Amino acid sequence: MKKYWKFTAIIIVIVLSIGTFYVNASTSAEQSPTFHINALSGDEKEITPLIMKGYYIDISSMNIGNSNLAISAKGTTYQSNSFLDQFVGNPPTVIKRLQEKNRTFMRGKNYSEDLFFENKQLLAYADVESSPVKSRNYKFDISVLTKEDDTINSFKLDVPEGKEMDYLLVEDVQINEDKLYLITHNFISNSGKQYEEKHIYTIDLSTKKMIDHEAIIQFSRRQKHTTIDVQLVRTSLTKTSEHLILLKTENKVSENMESTSDEVVIQEISSYNIQTKEKETINIPGLHLGGNRLSFFDDSTIYFMMLDGQNLLVTPYLLGDDTVGQPYNIQLSGEKGTVSEPITIVKDGKLYIASSQMNADINADVIVADAYTGKTLFKGQVAVDGSSKDNENFDLSLFDLFVK
Amino acid sequence: MKNYMKLVNFEFNRIAKLFAVLLGVTFVIQIVGVIVQSRYYLNMANEIMYEGMLSKSQFLENYDKISFSQIMNSMWFLGSIWFCVAAVVFYIFIIWYRDWIGKNTFIYRLLMLPTTRLNILFAKITTILIMTLGVVAIQLIMLPIETLLMKAIVPKEFIRDISVNEIVTIMPEFSFIIPNSPIELVLIYGAGVLAVSILFTAILMERSFKWKGILGGLIYSAVAVGLMISPLLINEFFLNGFFYKIEMFVLEIIMGFLVLAGSIWTCRFLLMKKITV
Repeated sequence: MKKYWKFTAIIIVIVLSIGTFYVNASTSAEQSPTFHINALSGDEKEITPLIMKGYYIDISSMNIGNSNLAISAKGTTYQSNSFLDQFVGNPPTVIKRLQEKNRTFMRGKNYSEDLFFENKQLLAYADVESSPVKSRNYKFDISVLTKEDDTINSFKLDVPEGKEMDYLLVEDVQINEDKLYLITHNFISNSGKQYEEKHIYTIDLSTKKMIDHEAIIQFSRRQKHTTIDVQLVRTSLTKTSEHLILLKTENKVSENMESTSDEVVIQEISSYNIQTKEKETINIPGLHLGGNRLSFFDDSTIYFMMLDGQNLLVTPYLLGDDTVGQPYNIQLSGEKGTVSEPITIVKDGKLYIASSQMNADINADVIVADAYTGKTLFKGQVAVDGSSKDNENFDLSLFDLFVK
Repeated sequence: MKNYMKLVNFEFNRIAKLFAVLLGVTFVIQIVGVIVQSRYYLNMANEIMYEGMLSKSQFLENYDKISFSQIMNSMWFLGSIWFCVAAVVFYIFIIWYRDWIGKNTFIYRLLMLPTTRLNILFAKITTILIMTLGVVAIQLIMLPIETLLMKAIVPKEFIRDISVNEIVTIMPEFSFIIPNSPIELVLIYGAGVLAVSILFTAILMERSFKWKGILGGLIYSAVAVGLMISPLLINEFFLNGFFYKIEMFVLEIIMGFLVLAGSIWTCRFLLMKKITV
C-alpha cells in the first residue's frame, strides 16, 4: 500500500474537497423568500384559478441566480433551475399545459400563444415557414388536432403574394365550423413601395385549400411627422370571436436636438367581422387611451383600460349592440401616488388585476372584479411569508397572469 | 484491474512532483494576488477618504465594500487558473510523447507489459482526469485560506462577506469547472473524458502513421465532433424540432457514449496492430 500513497492522497483530497463543496451547497443554499396573497376583502375563492408569474431579485445579495417564480393562492413556487430543468425547458404556462395534454401534437411547435387556437373539439396551430434557401418563399404550416379521435390533420399552403413580402407573422388563429382564419401582420415591399397590413386568410379545413384572403387594413408606419401603428387587441386562446378588434394609433413625432418625443394624436378603434368581412369604426366619446396595451377583448365585450393617477379606469364596450357600458374605477395602491402599469387579464367575465412591481415601499395589489360592472369580488395584497427582518432590499416584478 | 491500478499509480507518480509544483506556484500567485489587491483597495479607500475629507462611515455609504469576488476578478486569479488549464491540456499530449522521447524509448517497455494494452490508454485518461479534478479540489481548499488572508489585511467593516459557494456561483470560470449540481459535474467531466479520448485517438494515429496520421487524426476529430452535434442539426433542419429538449438531451448522451466507445475501439486497434516504436 505504501507505494500508492501519493495517488491515495490525491483521491482523498478530491473526494473530501468536492464532497464538502456540494454538501455546503445543498445545506447552506439561501432560501429565497416565499410570497402569499393576503386577502383584504372579498371571497378568497376568486383567486384559486389565478397564477401570477414574476421575477424576484435580492438587491443586497450578489447572487445572480435565476429566480423566476409563480405566486398563487397556494403560495409560491420557484422555478427550479437545476441543470436538468434547463433541459426540459420552461415554456410559457399556456404552452406547458398544452404540451402536457397533447405531447405528440405539440412536437416542433413554436412557443407563442398567438399561434394556437383551442376549443372543446379542436386544437389548432398555424405558423409561417420560410425557406432557408430561397428568399421570400413563405408557407403556412397548419395542423389541427381533433380531440375526440386524436387525429392530426396537418398541411402546408403557399402564402399568396408571398413574393412581395419581406416578412409576415401570425397574430391570431380562429376556427369557425370548418373554416380556419389566420390573421397575420405582413410587411410588404413591392416595386419601391413599402407598407404594412393586417391580413386575413380563410382556409377550408376539409379541402385543405385557401378559400380567400384580404387585407383588413393597410398602413405605412413612417410618415413625415407621424408614425402609425396598428395593433390587434389580444384575446384568450380559447375564445372563438366573431370580431377582430384593431387599434390604430397615430403618433406625432417631434424631434429636437437631443431627443425625440412622440405624442398620441389620433386613436381609432375598429372592429372587423370575420364572417361578413365588414369593418366598422367604434366611437367612444371621451376615451383617451394612453398605454393601450392594457385593453382586452373577451367574447363580445372590449375592455378599454387606462391608468389615471392611482385609478384604473375601465370602459366596457359591447360589440353586439354597439353600446358603451358604464365606466368604472378600480383603485390601486402604489408608492406616493404613482402606480406602475398593472397587468390584467379578463376571463369568464372576471377582470384580474395585479400590480407589476413590489418592494419594501410598494405594495402589490391583487384584485378580482366583475369585468362588466366593476364590482370588486376580491381584493388582496402580495405579502412576504415569515419574518421581514432581512427583506428590505428586494424587488419582485410580476409580468404575467394566467387563469386556469 | 490490479494491472490497471498499478499503471494509474505509475502514471500519476511520474507527474506527481511536477503537479505539486504547479499547484504550489498557483497558490503563491494567488496569495500575492490577494495581498496586492487588498492593499490596492485600502490605498484607494484611504486616498478617497483623505481627499474628500470623508469619515469611514461616509466612505462606506458611497463606495463599494471589497468582496473576495473582486480579488478573484483580477489577473492574478484568472491568470493562474488559465495557467493550470493550459498545463493540463499540454500534458494531454506530453503524457504520450514523453514515452517516445529519450534514450531508451519507454513505450517499448510499456507495450511489452503482460497486460492488455488498452490499460495503458485507460491509465493515461484516468491520470488526466485526476489531475483536472485535483486542480479543482485544491483550488476549493485554497479559497477559504485566501479569504482569511484578505480578512487579515482589510479591516472588517470594509469587507462584504461571501461564502465559497457564492464565489463559485458568481464567477463564470468557476461555475464551469465546479458547477452547481453534482449531475452537471458528471456531465462536464464526462464530456471532458470524451474529448480527451478523441485527442488520444488522434495522437495514437500520428504515432502509428506519422504524417499521414496527423491528417487521419484531424479527420477523426472532425468526424467525432460532427457526430456529437449531428442530433442537434438533424432535429433543427430536417425534423423541424420534432424532439423535445429532454429527448435531445438523452440522445446526446447516447451519442456521447457511442463516440467514446468508437474512440476506445480505434485506440485498441491502433495499440494492438499499428503502433510503431
